[in-house]
Amino acid sequence: MEESVVASEGLEFKWGKKKGVGGKKKDVQFYESFIYDGDEYRLYDCVLVGDASPDSTEPFIGMIIKIWEHANKHIPRKVKLLWFFKPSEIAPYLEGVPDVLANELFLASGEGLGLANTNLLEAIGGKCSVLCISKDKRNPQPSDEKINSADFVFRRSFDVKHCKVVDTIDDKIAGVDVKFIFNRACSEKEATAAQNIEADVNGNSDSLKPNGPLASGSGRKIEDNHFESSDCKKSSIGCIQEKEKGHYQLATKKATVAEERSNKDSGSRGNHFDGKAQESEVKKQLTKQKSMPAEERYSNSFEASGSRIIHSTSRKAQVNDVKKQLTKQKSMPAEERYSKESSGLNDRPLKKQKLDGSVTVPDGRNTTLLQNITSDGKKDTGSFKRPRDKVTLEEVPPEKRSFVKKRDLGVSVSEGKTTKTVTEKGLSKKPSFGRAEDKMLADDNERNYQVTEVCRRPDAGKSKWFRSLPWEESMREAEKKGTVVLLQNLDPTYTSDEVEDIVYSALNEQCEARMIERTSVTIPHVGEALVIFKTREVAERVIRRLDEGCLLLSSGRPLVASFAKITPPGKPSSFSGHIKLHKTQTRREMRDAVATSHCSQPNNLEFDMAMEWCLHQARHEQASESVSKRQLEEMKLLRINFKPKLP
Amino acid sequence: MATPEEVAYEKFLERVRRTVYIDELTPLATAPVISSAFNQFGTVKKVSFIPNYLGPKELPMGVLVEMENEEMTQAVISTVSQLPFMVAGMPRPVRACAAEPNMFVDKPKKPGRTVRFRWIKPNDPDFDKARRVKRLARKHSAENSFMLKKQLEEAEKLSKQQAETAVTHHKKFEMMDKLLYDGVAQKLAGRYDLKGFPYR
Repeated sequence: MEESVVASEGLEFKWGKKKGVGGKKKDVQFYESFIYDGDEYRLYDCVLVGDASPDSTEPFIGMIIKIWEHANKHIPRKVKLLWFFKPSEIAPYLEGVPDVLANELFLASGEGLGLANTNLLEAIGGKCSVLCISKDKRNPQPSDEKINSADFVFRRSFDVKHCKVVDTIDDKIAGVDVKFIFNRACSEKEATAAQNIEADVNGNSDSLKPNGPLASGSGRKIEDNHFESSDCKKSSIGCIQEKEKGHYQLATKKATVAEERSNKDSGSRGNHFDGKAQESEVKKQLTKQKSMPAEERYSNSFEASGSRIIHSTSRKAQVNDVKKQLTKQKSMPAEERYSKESSGLNDRPLKKQKLDGSVTVPDGRNTTLLQNITSDGKKDTGSFKRPRDKVTLEEVPPEKRSFVKKRDLGVSVSEGKTTKTVTEKGLSKKPSFGRAEDKMLADDNERNYQVTEVCRRPDAGKSKWFRSLPWEESMREAEKKGTVVLLQNLDPTYTSDEVEDIVYSALNEQCEARMIERTSVTIPHVGEALVIFKTREVAERVIRRLDEGCLLLSSGRPLVASFAKITPPGKPSSFSGHIKLHKTQTRREMRDAVATSHCSQPNNLEFDMAMEWCLHQARHEQASESVSKRQLEEMKLLRINFKPKLP
Repeated sequence: MATPEEVAYEKFLERVRRTVYIDELTPLATAPVISSAFNQFGTVKKVSFIPNYLGPKELPMGVLVEMENEEMTQAVISTVSQLPFMVAGMPRPVRACAAEPNMFVDKPKKPGRTVRFRWIKPNDPDFDKARRVKRLARKHSAENSFMLKKQLEEAEKLSKQQAETAVTHHKKFEMMDKLLYDGVAQKLAGRYDLKGFPYR
């Protein structure tokens, strides 16, 4: 007899084929299939089960291995699920495990906690397709297109007792014969025919004792309100379309039902985040986008208490997933903003350029131009008298404009007001070099541009009888004198010595150099170095030569030089992110713990706050990566061939 | 047969493999603090700070911690990636990743590589391209310093927000403690006839 029971939530339910009875008093009825909310679920189908905690987006995946109901209708219907592990759930045990695919799952095997659980039937949140791609002989190999269209794949198992990934699949897992775990060889139609032939109500085919499933005893409690993420929604729709409806049960409602059900689900955080991220992308407000999800997560994480470690690491992984969604959309407006900003920076020198142009047109002489630019009172107007070559006069104004432009960009790099006056000073000093400089420039330009190797500079510059000062001191000294130059666009693998050699060979100047180490905040594909010269004139000369000419290194990059703005020494008084409570507010043990270092456990507020910081860090990593990728591509477009083309 | 240069480079690479790069550290941390912190994972051989010459002042510090052998390095990295590890202050955790040769200022030259250069003539078609590259390089570094500034601002905001909530929580717990201690809670429990109230 088949019952048609309307479940409490109004979701339609109907039993399918019976399998047998069991139990001490023969009052437990086992089934092979059922229809729930329009979907047909059979034994050994893979289903999604929502997570109980309020802030997880990913459902758990399990395979139905038993379905039953008590004669006593007050005892709710149950299913036993054999779990699949996601890589994020067993991350600590995945060290050294090769080739974990993005949608790969691990079947639980062995014995112990976490293998399988009994759950209420109503906890099932939808179907999904899990394909076995193990190369085991017993497993019918699926076609490539099936693999691509499956929601998940699995080929290895995870032994819950020994907590290890196992490559082979045993003959029986959780009392289930392995042939049910592998892909079904026969098509749906054959399967239903076989079921039709099977014994009916009083059949003794079921040898499994009902006592087993009733003992649950593990932490995965599921409430009636199941959660679904947007992935689940897609998968349930896909599954319904893929599975053949050759079953003899009455025609079920199709994808629309599943959609309705997922739409009515209010707690799906995945949708929530996506929607939020999208709408704020439209608004293009960087800060709003970031602070809102951060606050949401923060308030929700306070509600979650007593979560297991596995759970929290999965949360961290979910943080990563969510973060990826967020930052993908966030970094795009970030980049747009940066480009907006940087184009804003470009606008400034353009304006300055116009100023230059407007001045030179009536005069045609650079001297008055310089007078207009240098705003501080330290100009050497006397030295402006030297006239310039006719030839260079034409060349120099356009060069000068770009020079000014580059200077300004150099200014924005250094972010200081003082350097502005420095560069202007530099500009005012420039014509004082007069003819000698021009001649050298002309020499540069006319030198035969053969490829020259960088040779080790002679040690004449280094005095052997003084102990050389440590870099820090000499740098601070040099900064006062204004002889520190920042060389950019180097190959990041250069060493300080190589930089010194380059400067010597190419520019014939002695110097001391130090490569700036790569950290998480530096651009990974370019290198920078701080170079100290002996005198200020040398420094200026070098900068000028590198600006007006182009020194191309064998890495295909021209060198860029500017005056360096160095952060003044001294440490900030406090570090943002470290909370200082009053002495009265903390107990002694806590103070000790704070003063030393410790790993935070997931059962306190500190952990939640740390998670926020992790999110913050991860977001920035993502943004930096995308920015640097874009920059690398831009550079690649302008790649210059090192070997000169023969004329 | 390896030249002495290559030998030196190999030794350097081996040292790199044993080193962890720790980021997001407070600039107030000192070398002994860091070495005692990471001594929990294994023997720390050397701690070297990465100086911050060009970045803004509030930038979190980076440190290279050299351990005894590679396994300890792996242990550090895997633990710090899974659980938030806090050094000398909470709750901002540090970040760890494997060190790279470019992070060392005293790295030896890569053997077998020579740097070559040439000046480009102004009338060479590549000259203009080189100019643009130079401009692009400056633009990029401007972009990066801007991004850094934004990141620091966000960090400031987050930390202010957390400080506020921490204080609020503290007040809440204090209040609860006080009530239980004073006996007010018990009296109320008696009043409302709550059975089995704790702390009786």
